[in-house]
Amino acid sequence: MQEPVSGPAVPVGAGEVALSIEAIRKAYGATVAVEKAAMTLMAGEVHALLGENGAGKSTLVKILSGVVRPDAGGMVLKGRPYAPTSISAARAEGVATAFQELSLLPNLSVAENLLLPRLPKGVAGMTSAAGTWQAGAEILARYGLDHIDPGAALESLPLADRQRVEIVRAFVNARHVLVLDEPTAALADTQWLFDHVRAATAKGMAVLYISHRLSEVRALCSRATVLRNGRSIATVELSAATDGDIFEMMVGRRGHAARRAATSTAATLNAPVVLSVSGMAGDTLKDVSFELRKGEILGIAALEGQGQRELFRTLAGLRQPASGTISVDGVAQALRGPSHALRVGGGIAYLPEERKTEGILSGLSAASNIVLPILPSVSKAGLVSGRNERAASEEHAQRVEMSQRYLSFPIGDLSGGNQQKALLARVMATGAQTLLLFDPTRGVDVGTKQSIYAAISNFAEQGGSVLFYSSELPEIVQLAHRCMVLYGGRIFSEFTGEDIDEQALVAALIGHGGAERRASAGVH
Amino acid sequence: MASLTHSTPHRMRRAQPMKLLTSGAGIVFVLYVLLYAIYASLQPSALSSSTFTNLVNNSVPLAIAAAGETLVVLSRGFDLSVAGVISLTNVLMAVYPQEGPFGALVSLAICLAVGGIVGAVNGWLVAILRLQAIAATLATMIVCQGLALVILDAPGGMVADWVSYELTDRLFGVLPISGLFVLAVVLAWLVFKRTNLGLGLYAVGADEQAASLSGISVIKVRFAAFVGAGMIYGLAGFMLSAQTATGNPNSGTPFLMLAFAAVALGGTSLSGGRGGLIGSILGAATLMLLQKVLFSGGVSSFYTGIFQGVVLVLAIVFGSAFARLTGRRTTA
Amino acid sequence: MTSQVDVMSKFQAEQDTRKARRIDRHTVSAIAVFVLCVVLILASRLVSPSLGSWQQVLTVLTLASFLVVLSFGQGLVILTGGLDLSLPAVITLGGVLTTTWIGNGPGAWYMLPFVLAICGGVGLASAIGIVWLKVPPFIMTMATSIIVSSAALGLTNGTPRGASPDVLLLLMKGSWLGIPAPVYFLVIFAVVGWIVQSRTVFGRYLYALGTNRDAARIAGVPITLVSVLPYVISAVCAGFVGMMLVGYANGATLRMGDNYMLPSIAAVVIGGSSILGGNGNFAGTVGGAILLTTVGTVIAAIGLEQGLRTIIEGGIILVALLLLREELFERLRGLSGKPRSGG
Repeated sequence: MQEPVSGPAVPVGAGEVALSIEAIRKAYGATVAVEKAAMTLMAGEVHALLGENGAGKSTLVKILSGVVRPDAGGMVLKGRPYAPTSISAARAEGVATAFQELSLLPNLSVAENLLLPRLPKGVAGMTSAAGTWQAGAEILARYGLDHIDPGAALESLPLADRQRVEIVRAFVNARHVLVLDEPTAALADTQWLFDHVRAATAKGMAVLYISHRLSEVRALCSRATVLRNGRSIATVELSAATDGDIFEMMVGRRGHAARRAATSTAATLNAPVVLSVSGMAGDTLKDVSFELRKGEILGIAALEGQGQRELFRTLAGLRQPASGTISVDGVAQALRGPSHALRVGGGIAYLPEERKTEGILSGLSAASNIVLPILPSVSKAGLVSGRNERAASEEHAQRVEMSQRYLSFPIGDLSGGNQQKALLARVMATGAQTLLLFDPTRGVDVGTKQSIYAAISNFAEQGGSVLFYSSELPEIVQLAHRCMVLYGGRIFSEFTGEDIDEQALVAALIGHGGAERRASAGVH
Repeated sequence: MASLTHSTPHRMRRAQPMKLLTSGAGIVFVLYVLLYAIYASLQPSALSSSTFTNLVNNSVPLAIAAAGETLVVLSRGFDLSVAGVISLTNVLMAVYPQEGPFGALVSLAICLAVGGIVGAVNGWLVAILRLQAIAATLATMIVCQGLALVILDAPGGMVADWVSYELTDRLFGVLPISGLFVLAVVLAWLVFKRTNLGLGLYAVGADEQAASLSGISVIKVRFAAFVGAGMIYGLAGFMLSAQTATGNPNSGTPFLMLAFAAVALGGTSLSGGRGGLIGSILGAATLMLLQKVLFSGGVSSFYTGIFQGVVLVLAIVFGSAFARLTGRRTTA
Repeated sequence: MTSQVDVMSKFQAEQDTRKARRIDRHTVSAIAVFVLCVVLILASRLVSPSLGSWQQVLTVLTLASFLVVLSFGQGLVILTGGLDLSLPAVITLGGVLTTTWIGNGPGAWYMLPFVLAICGGVGLASAIGIVWLKVPPFIMTMATSIIVSSAALGLTNGTPRGASPDVLLLLMKGSWLGIPAPVYFLVIFAVVGWIVQSRTVFGRYLYALGTNRDAARIAGVPITLVSVLPYVISAVCAGFVGMMLVGYANGATLRMGDNYMLPSIAAVVIGGSSILGGNGNFAGTVGGAILLTTVGTVIAAIGLEQGLRTIIEGGIILVALLLLREELFERLRGLSGKPRSGG
């Protein structure tokens, strides 16, 4: 392994420093999002920003774009201090961002979105519809997007085109620094983006590129800065670092995690089927079939947007499949909603991906959050018994190693890790025999991760079944008895037991080398 | 970059977003025409100029009030102060009448200023202090009602003759003058819509966060919406005074619900970002026309409300169903 | 790794403040409102010696009983993130039906529940529009309000007739041990209401729904039922307020509900609940209702004219809103000498 090159290395182009960031710190309440983050962008380079979920990438992007202001630290843009107070101020200085969660207005036209907040003026200082259309058309043409009608309402565009509009708007507003935050999440074809990024860097633009897809990063970027737990760990020449090196820097250890579940894999392969899905299709899903057995932990690996979200939400009863059947304990079921899913067969409980918007009830105590699904059972004659509630919440908190002292706090005041533990305790409290866990360790610290892994393993050992998706491969390697890779809405390949290997998974994630694996897996 | 001039075939499509934004207005316009046809068949004099003028005069205060409310609703807000401002300006007109055309101008300026001040207070509370709009404007509404009662504690007073005669008259014997005020509001709206602030209104209403990430000042847009709305309520109070020729400290109260009903009927989404002022004006006109139709159809005026309520709910339900059919993504 | 440890230890260091704050937020606003009531009544003595008496307290509580019942229903609806604008119309409906159908004749024992059921049906109609037809609560309850007022108007031909059933006269005019019956009723209702909102499974579901609808649904809360019931309860409460007013005034009018719309919302908001739903408790709402009534009677007693009284009422709502702002709590916490670790 090459030594990581720290600080500014020799730039690829004949670049000067475009933007340097020193010791940036930002905390939200008790949660420190970014601490001691430092980075140097050279003019004319594409610089990758790598890190796990929750490593602080989004916060750093927001600071660069002027959306949030750092608590400490400073930035220097083209030799002058740079401290934008708003997104417009950042643009005025030549820094623009294409955001991961698109910052476009669905009810406005493409051209208006491109030109916001100021449209071309026409007669008597009024915005000119013709001028707006014209300017929008010119921008689209410049970036090879002639097929998009500048007058169309943004919401009428397919997701990929909306993402392109977001990217183009950032290109238009960026003079010195362009930040692209997961720009390819909805793009099937990256060539268009890469061509324009290269054209921009050739003119001396500095590009900060954030992506989970290492292959893209390698194709486009020269150097990468790795962020871990809010700190910049190192800046490396990508040509000199292996994937393993980068993983290690991202997660703080070598990628090959010890397999925890290896011994019990064989036993689960013959256990009775508790959940079986056949021929499920709809939206992004195409002919998904699989079985989940008693006591089994089945991992799903996939890049962003390969249909995992739809799969989980369908199994939780939140959306209806266009076709296909779901059988629980051998009986075909049409799941009408989450509370129905909890009741069918041994029960299916869902841990949603968005902790804030779909998980926690922020004003209520952690204990109330945990017992919510089983409230009737801790009540007498419709009255919630404080003692029963405490006892039940303590019992389930213990299963996820959550400290009892937190149970009486409003859950919104707890750290992300404790919130996640409480939510896991909630799905376990339901008594459901099948758990659907969508990225159960997203944005939580390392200690919490271990507690969550242990809770999941224990649950399976006691005969429960788990279907979980994770954006972190080591997690799947460590936990899963079996693993399926979703790609383009299909189950692309499947690995069992000892075959679950990070390198092989990485290949399958981007659609390589799956077919023969699937044939040899032989579970179906 | 001017080298890339575009050819004409595309140009036709420019009208599209405009059409989409006003599609709610289109539905309510059809409804209005249908109702008017029914009205004409029940009451042959419906087509006479004097009946129409009467109808317009009756509808104008509500139409203007609803127009003001639309500004706030578009930015995903609520403004209950409409009732307070109308009562307040109405009693001001009745207690301090200003004679003659110049006096009318002074009165108008006072009404607009009072509305603007109340709007600025609302804007300060909601946009800057971030209070919940319903609660904050509820408070300002009550305060305005109180002020109205202080100025005039019981119905009475006289609005200046010039205002009450001239503004309810017809121009060239055909055009209702009060309608010209509505026209002025519509023109002002069409201009405003084509400013950066006007576009910002739609942007903030659709998605506050995305709007702010697009460089729009959310505070500025919200504040402007409340101030603009307040001034328009002031105008509504002015027109109501011309209509009733007298003062009533509670004259604004009926406008609270009806203004929201008109906005919703006119196809403006209460969750913001969709719709427009013209639809609300047509919605208000439809509600008032409905009363006439029911009356001339022999329905006891006691039951008018039942029809208004049912029409309101049906309009909303069909409006959203229609929106779904035409492929709009609903924001749930 | 070390940064994670830092985060944890900092978080733990902050625990005590957090706990203190939680108690603050939930009870302080309720206590503050009650204290304010007492202060106001005592202070009114300074203005006029006839004020601030025990008798006046009883009058205030009697008058507040209407608002307490009404704002219980409104509070439940607000808790789920909705709003019920149909209350005045349903009050009138309840009152008018009571005098015209029952009057002081026999049959009150089965007719009163029947009238309440009709009122509940109005609430159910609103809920159906809101939950299944997806009409915004504001519009839907406004529509039912317009419809119900119009029906009440038509039903009575513009002039309600009849008198109050004896049982309602007994409830509103009777007294025991020198204390008016409505005061006993108020106390019992407040306790039951508080238990329903804060201690039952149903109440807990309401908080869950109002805090985060999607999360509540995923956690298995029966959201349809929990969304519908508050509107039904709210309408039944309003119908009952109509009956109480009939008993109090021995008759009904078509405008008897008009003055209760805004106070029903104001009592909830002053009591510390967010109008966006998901927090607050009924103790605070009861305090809010009593405070509003106290202000009303004190101001009326010192002879202020109606206009000034209204201005003061609006001002009180505004002050309550400004004081209840989340940021203000944060700032107070900052001033209390325990700075945040992040600062």
